[in-house]
Amino acid sequence: MKTTQNSSGDVRLTGIGKTYGSFTAVHPLDLTVPEGSFFALLGASGCGKTTTLRMIAGLEEPSRGTVSLGDQDVTHLPPYKRPVNTVFQSYALFPHLDIFENVAFGLRRRGLKSVKKQVDEMLDLVQLGEQARKKPHQLSGGQQQRVAVARALINHPKVLLLDEPLGALDLKLRRQMQLELKRIQTEVGITFIHVTHDQEEAMTMADTVAVMNGGRVEQLGSPADLYENPKTTFVANFLGTSNLIEAEVDSRSGEEIVLKAGDGKLVLPEARCAAPATTGGKVLVGIRPEKITLTHADDAGEIPVGRNRITGKIAATSFIGVSTQYVIDSSVCPEFEVYVQNIDRDARLVPGADVVLHWSPAHTFGLDAAQSLLAGTAGSAGVEEGAAL
Amino acid sequence: MSTLAEAEAPPPLAPVPTEKPPRRRGRWTPYLLLAPGLIWLLVFFAMPMVYQASTSVQTGSLEEGYQVTWHFATYWDALSEYYPQFLRSVLYAGTATFLCLLLGYPLAYLIAFRAGRWRNLILILVIAPFFTSFLIRTLAWKTILADGGPVVGALNSLHVLDVTSWLGLTAGDRVLATPLAVVCGLTYNFLPFMILPLYTSLERIDGRLHEAAGDLYATPFTTFRKVTFPLSMPGVVSGTLLTFIPASGDYVNAELLGSTNTQMIGNVIQSQFLRILDYPTAAALSFILMAAILIMVTVYIRRSGTEDLV
Repeated sequence: MKTTQNSSGDVRLTGIGKTYGSFTAVHPLDLTVPEGSFFALLGASGCGKTTTLRMIAGLEEPSRGTVSLGDQDVTHLPPYKRPVNTVFQSYALFPHLDIFENVAFGLRRRGLKSVKKQVDEMLDLVQLGEQARKKPHQLSGGQQQRVAVARALINHPKVLLLDEPLGALDLKLRRQMQLELKRIQTEVGITFIHVTHDQEEAMTMADTVAVMNGGRVEQLGSPADLYENPKTTFVANFLGTSNLIEAEVDSRSGEEIVLKAGDGKLVLPEARCAAPATTGGKVLVGIRPEKITLTHADDAGEIPVGRNRITGKIAATSFIGVSTQYVIDSSVCPEFEVYVQNIDRDARLVPGADVVLHWSPAHTFGLDAAQSLLAGTAGSAGVEEGAAL
Repeated sequence: MSTLAEAEAPPPLAPVPTEKPPRRRGRWTPYLLLAPGLIWLLVFFAMPMVYQASTSVQTGSLEEGYQVTWHFATYWDALSEYYPQFLRSVLYAGTATFLCLLLGYPLAYLIAFRAGRWRNLILILVIAPFFTSFLIRTLAWKTILADGGPVVGALNSLHVLDVTSWLGLTAGDRVLATPLAVVCGLTYNFLPFMILPLYTSLERIDGRLHEAAGDLYATPFTTFRKVTFPLSMPGVVSGTLLTFIPASGDYVNAELLGSTNTQMIGNVIQSQFLRILDYPTAAALSFILMAAILIMVTVYIRRSGTEDLV
């Protein structure tokens, strides 16, 4: 998704980094956010995503590198001179001003005298026309959130920065606001840069997601691309769930790599392998839980030829309505997760049953085996503590 | 006694308990917790007030004793004789309050937002003067402002005293025994009462509001004018009240640093009570002062509209 040509409104970060004493919050990184896109910075707390956002806003001085908006280098401009507005995590609405004045704040600072029409229109856009004369504390969380968006958007910034704007809302309201924000972004066509730790939120809303970890961008791409082709174990585990199997490269034939895992053989398309695969070397084989078909061991003969297969025993099941989640104990991976759509449920698939897991080689991906298998999983999510600025 | 009663007025605030969620068996707990404060108020505030109120409408003499004769004319006589001291009190206390605000606000701002790890140290330094007696600190100003001392010498050579003399604040080469000295003493003595409430209300302001204002095109100065200052209004109001009210009833500064031409109403009340022994006039003056302060404070709070602030 990186654009190389200099469109007038791209946000370009060049070698930008931030250190606090000996702690490096953001390692020097290059990033281009195309004009008009919905861009998400995704990562666990302390990964440097908020610091990156604050450097774009001008609230944090970069230790090195430059920030440009279009052709303008804004690295050393104070925030009040940047054509950028922020929706803060806690909204930061002015408690002594009513909703109207909160929204009008930016316009008035730029010397506009008649703001009524614009403010009214903006309040209508976020469906708060009725609340104009209330104080922020009289509104609900969701309403305050919309005021924060309106207060920023009314200035028609080149870029709107959103710092975990939905973090304080409950799940249902959050889903609703995700769609709302996406609608507003499409309507106004302004570049949105959204910081979040919620991978589902990033995937639903953004065109492009940059996954950050330990002050670095691990991978950048469209949500589907990141999900289907993770390049690191962190991305594989942080976005959804992945089953990772350690395997040895057995042979290579054409565009396929044949791997040895336990006693079985697995096939991996070379194009989907992010690691150098030399014969005899190790590779991590990954497969998403919903790509796997579960067949009872008695029916193993019916499985089409050419699919990757692994045998195991069901350790646990949990029924969650739309699907059933199985945990399979297999020799190559102790906790293999499989999600099966509840279309025709096989009554024999209960804990203790012997099963065969099989999937299309096209869904397999390969990762460098030198990384931790657990990077980006729930237990290790907060990779670095502190600096959750 | 009445000036003392006013000086005593703030302490009774302390024992008022915050109520716990009521439990069935603890029905009397709130009352028990309230009792010490209420008894204190009754004995040391309500009763002296009633006593002074009755004194103010008595007539008689020391030798023959005083009787309640409902002689309200004492109020009118006291006011018409001592109104210059009343006006002077309001003027001096008002000036001192304004100076405290001017000096205290930047310091409170610094402690709240910029002091970092020095915050507690500076706060202690603000409170430190309280470790010595009020009288000694005021007497120290006599030395500081002494005729021919370094301060007066410096002010003289800088021709500051020419300007202040022209304004009627000082007389010739002297600072001591002039209005300037009294206002300086008042400002110095009540400055902590301004700084502490200001600090408390500034410290409560969410730093992200400053960032948000900056993000919305407000320069640092506009941010202060439109966000920080309005949000610190509760501190400004309580600080000015805590400074103005005791300052307008004060007599120590005018006594030690001033002259007969700088007498405030506190000095009059004190001498009426303790030297002239005209108790009814002294009591009437106390009540007039109290009423005047109450009216001014009420108008001030109404005008500043702080009830509306969160």
